[in-house]
Amino acid sequence: MTRYFLVLLMALLMPAAPILAQDGGPLRIEITEGVIEPLPYAVPDFVADSVSGREYARQITAVVASDLNGTGLFRQIPSDAHIARVTSFSSPIQFSDWKAINAQALITGAVSVDDVGKLVVQFRLYDIFAGQEIGQGLQFVGTQEGWRRMAHKVADQVYSRLTGETPYFDSRVVFISETGPKDARQKRLAIMDYDGANVTYLTDSQSLVLAPRFSPNGDRVLYTSYESGHPRIYVLDVASAGRRVLETREGSMSFSPRFAPDGRTVVYSLTQGGNTDLFAMDIASGRSQRLTTSPAIETAPSFSPDGRHIVFESDRSGTPQLYIMPATGGEATRISFGQGRYGTPVWSPRGDLIAFTKQSKGRFHIGVMRTDGSEERLLTASFLDEGPTWSPNGRVIMFTRETQGAQGISGLYSVDITGRNLRPVQTPTGASDPSWSPLQD
Amino acid sequence: MNTGQIISAAGHAGLILWAVLGGAFDTDPQPYEVTQVTAISAEDYAALIAADRAPDAVANVDTPDPPEAGAAPSLSSEADTPPEQSQPPATETAEPDPVPEPPEATPPEAEVSDAPPVQPSPPEETAVLVPEISERPQPRPAPRVAPEPVARPEPDVQIDDVDRVETAPDDSPEVVEQDSQETAREEAATRIVTEAEKAAAAAPAWSLRPRTRPAPRPEPESTVTAQQPAQETTPQVDDAAVDDAVAAALAAAGAGTGDTGTPAGPPLTAGEKDALRVAVQQCWNVGSLSSEALATTVVVTVSMSEDGRPEADSIRMTSYSGGSADAADRAFAAARRAIIRCGTNGYDLPFEKYEQWRNIEMTFNPERMRIK
Repeated sequence: MTRYFLVLLMALLMPAAPILAQDGGPLRIEITEGVIEPLPYAVPDFVADSVSGREYARQITAVVASDLNGTGLFRQIPSDAHIARVTSFSSPIQFSDWKAINAQALITGAVSVDDVGKLVVQFRLYDIFAGQEIGQGLQFVGTQEGWRRMAHKVADQVYSRLTGETPYFDSRVVFISETGPKDARQKRLAIMDYDGANVTYLTDSQSLVLAPRFSPNGDRVLYTSYESGHPRIYVLDVASAGRRVLETREGSMSFSPRFAPDGRTVVYSLTQGGNTDLFAMDIASGRSQRLTTSPAIETAPSFSPDGRHIVFESDRSGTPQLYIMPATGGEATRISFGQGRYGTPVWSPRGDLIAFTKQSKGRFHIGVMRTDGSEERLLTASFLDEGPTWSPNGRVIMFTRETQGAQGISGLYSVDITGRNLRPVQTPTGASDPSWSPLQD
Repeated sequence: MNTGQIISAAGHAGLILWAVLGGAFDTDPQPYEVTQVTAISAEDYAALIAADRAPDAVANVDTPDPPEAGAAPSLSSEADTPPEQSQPPATETAEPDPVPEPPEATPPEAEVSDAPPVQPSPPEETAVLVPEISERPQPRPAPRVAPEPVARPEPDVQIDDVDRVETAPDDSPEVVEQDSQETAREEAATRIVTEAEKAAAAAPAWSLRPRTRPAPRPEPESTVTAQQPAQETTPQVDDAAVDDAVAAALAAAGAGTGDTGTPAGPPLTAGEKDALRVAVQQCWNVGSLSSEALATTVVVTVSMSEDGRPEADSIRMTSYSGGSADAADRAFAAARRAIIRCGTNGYDLPFEKYEQWRNIEMTFNPERMRIK
């Protein structure tokens, strides 16, 4: 009897138990709304163990900060707001001092010159609110002349550890340097670091050059030159600046070349008899294969990262639109259906997006869309924006922006694929037609 | 004749009598008007009529006496001079009224001239491109994207998590108020506004892909394993189980005080949960996360101290979904920073319900933050 009484008592009490204990587990909440703002970080000047290393330490710290700030994802806390001072690379971190100024990440580093004159750069990255180091400290050794690359590599590591993205700071951009007025503009092929530093000219201004494109490993550049009087495609070796022409059919014009992901094939446009079609050429053998046969103008081809498809521009529907076809040619599928004209499509290194130029209602835009044409987003708008190129990690797009008027000049700009952080790229002269290299080794 | 007939006859007789004598058959007289009249005699009537006729000749009127015959009046032959008929002096002819000269036909001042009137020039029309559709209010771009838009604060105002009015020392000695600097929340927009959208005057040319249904929240394994045996066991009464269950139920029911002597109290209300959620999400910054990390949902547990502060060492990621382990690590780091940062001064949680929020499981789902 007592047993049944207890069972009855339990039955009466049990319904209340889950309510009181909140399902018997911890309190559960779901966070679905956050904020998007730059992550505040601190980077005190790297510690130098010698007078010679002090200037390098200051410059490397500045480049690291410039790289991170330039992404728009991070906000540097100025050094005069720092409470703690880092005087030794190995001394423990007073997290409370950095937490007090709301630093969420801290970068410390040291620079020294070893016995053989090599520059040694070390760094550590800390999560202030977790009170622990993120990853392990790293050390880079290089020539003193290569201090900027070492700074970019430090910034790459910090960027990658904080965001989870693959980095892109240690990369280069080949572009067309422009000088003079619009009606007498001189153009040269040039190469620089991604941030506009270390500009080197690869050609002179004797002949018009257009549309340079990096090879997949960054050792060669394809470009179009009017040196012979009509457009022809050249391959230039970046290290030696040696070049050779890609022989195409006599009496034809070839332009708009781009490497296949394997680096052995080039796809390009060829105009013959008033018709422009796409062709693919094996660089080693020089054999070409026709990819399109439409009477329309087909140009601006770009491979997918897996090399299986090509996105290109064609006016076969009456206005320039974007199409995708197999890399070996065949039936093309139109993917752009918005109002306006689409051109210069470029497949993202991630393979998920296609960047393009769009002309609509008298304005030019740089935009991105899915590879099936969905989710089109316009990132910029101006008098003339064109020629997008992807950063090695597929997170940033660089493009040409030209200002209006006879004295208008061309310059390079970059924008995050979210549409944020639109900013100019500093170049010593006017610039156009950028092509971003892969990440350097 | 029996009694009934007598009574009936008497009654009828009485009724007839009452009807006859009581005037039951009389009808009410019609209403009439009463007018006052007076009777007059025939003479008075004749007099009244005569007053209205012409008077008759009176025959009985005395004739006057003729004058006496005396000397006959001499007749004179002079003809009677006719009476002069004097003309009445001619009255001076009144000078005719001067004929009013017709007014000079001076042409009136021409109010209407040949010259075309000068029309007030209407405001100059300018060609305006009519938008195809009405303008939508454009969100103002801001470097920060947050659930609630925040206007740009004054430049000299310090950025903080809350809006605070500046206070200054007061001369009145009664009020003791701690001085504080004016602060305001950082400017924020509710979504990213690209350059293309800033210039656009119409609706955006694209829309977000319809959101997929959120994946069901993974239940902790311990919960699953604890529930499965309960479903499979047959309802047999076991003494030991009964004793344990009774003890557990009694402990839960008597949750006025927890095991540690701290109050458990009732469950948190929806408002209290929302307040905690809002407090954490203010510090959940996903702006520096990779695309893959932004597609990763992490479930994080944290133990709280009684003052509402999270115990940093207790923060653990119990599960993740939607991304790689590396992406989950980045997403967890952002979640951990959010919990610690906004809990520095303790979350506003009811102390009397401490046992209810002593351990918290937070699911950070960035699905709505991917493109904003």
